[in-house]
Amino acid sequence: MKRYGEFTAVDDVSLRVRAGDFFGFLGPNGAGKTTTINAVVGLARLNAGSIRVFGYDNVTQWREARRFIGLAPQEYNFDRYLSIRDILIYQAGYFGIRAREVRERADMLLERFGLASKAKLDYLKLSGGQKRRLTLARALINMPKLLILDEPTAGVDVELRLELWELLQQLNREGMTIFLTTHYLEEAEMLCRDVGIIRAGKLVAQEPMHELLERKGKGLQEVFLELTRSGPAELV
Amino acid sequence: MNYVGMFTLMKREMVRSLKIINQVIWPPMITTALYVFVFGVALGSRVKAPHGMSYSVFLIPGLIMLQVIDSSYGECSSSVFQARFMNWIQEMLVAPMSAYEIVFGYISGSIVRALLIACLIMGLGFALVHTLPRDWLLYFGVIIDVGLLFSALGVIFGLMAEKFDHLAVLTTFAITPLVFVGSAFTPAQFLPPSILRFEYFNPMFYAIDAFRYSYTSASYLPLWLSLSVITGLAALCLGIALSMAVVGYKLRA
Repeated sequence: MKRYGEFTAVDDVSLRVRAGDFFGFLGPNGAGKTTTINAVVGLARLNAGSIRVFGYDNVTQWREARRFIGLAPQEYNFDRYLSIRDILIYQAGYFGIRAREVRERADMLLERFGLASKAKLDYLKLSGGQKRRLTLARALINMPKLLILDEPTAGVDVELRLELWELLQQLNREGMTIFLTTHYLEEAEMLCRDVGIIRAGKLVAQEPMHELLERKGKGLQEVFLELTRSGPAELV
Repeated sequence: MNYVGMFTLMKREMVRSLKIINQVIWPPMITTALYVFVFGVALGSRVKAPHGMSYSVFLIPGLIMLQVIDSSYGECSSSVFQARFMNWIQEMLVAPMSAYEIVFGYISGSIVRALLIACLIMGLGFALVHTLPRDWLLYFGVIIDVGLLFSALGVIFGLMAEKFDHLAVLTTFAITPLVFVGSAFTPAQFLPPSILRFEYFNPMFYAIDAFRYSYTSASYLPLWLSLSVITGLAALCLGIALSMAVVGYKLRA
């Protein structure tokens, strides 16, 4: 549970994401998706309950838990004083990885995300799509086992969206657990094996995507609207 | 301990200083050169200094302390505030870095900048008035001690501020006036007793007096007293800054 003053942002949310899963965490604006993510990565402190990341409690064993996580936030929050390549190298440094050990990986990620030619530039010189790719590259620099993506394709064009989908699927095939929040339901339907739907801070669904859709006999959009529009928030 | 993370943050602070060199490195040099010219060379021959030293020689340690205080507070307060404001502090908050490592990363970067500025001004002082520190251990010790005190204050204000304007409050209404009346320019021996009484409540007075000893081997106050006051205040401010970071004040929801 997470409360901000009198307002309860997340209440009684019990989620289990299997290692290697591609998990979609869906909900309308203000439902508690980002608060949940913030609680997982340690940016928000829970008022009650606990979170374990690959077996490590993210409060009492926060250092071990955080080493497993790569976060791609919704907003661009790159260090203004660093070049694009240094943004990756310094991020690895904060994770305790020495620059000399990570330079090669930084170059590989810049190459993979089509940013190699921009490596020495200021991030402000990048287009929106390039900034989105840099967000992902930064999230991957510490070789996480769990990649958390908060609206990774918000505001990007169709071409880049498809490119990012392909990349995320590839990362998932390589064994990375992916926790995705998105407002694009076709994206979630296409990518995610398991899905959780949150409304007003309460979890209203959590099951494999195909089972949920089969059981309801509808597409994800209809299911989503049914679960998030009306009635008291109860797990179905 | 995540030493690599802490060192990375310290290095990042140095990179930041070099990126804004025209704001943070050259201005103290030029200001100091102007102070030395106006107060030291032009007016200094008419002003008496204690222990028979020239006024220019008296002036240099005060000018170094002025810039050390200003740069260590400025570096930490603006860097922490900017990182919060632009939200890139998240890069550290989601990493396996403790609050202690983040605070010490910022403070050590700020102290390195203060040391760099102090050494540049020391070189300027040598070039202009041919004076150098006599006690190098005390010289570096006081810079680190005072740098620690004002960097920690910078962290506190960087965490509390809601806008850039708030950061200037301490500089405008406390640091600058207290440094100017804290014997940076005026020998304490020549102050009227009514004003001198207030100097004992001015931390800059202790900082400048102790630092001047490293140049002149003479001080108005007992050295142990000045060092104790600065160290005590540094410990207090560091404790407050660390406590704020540990509870995640304005950092973690």
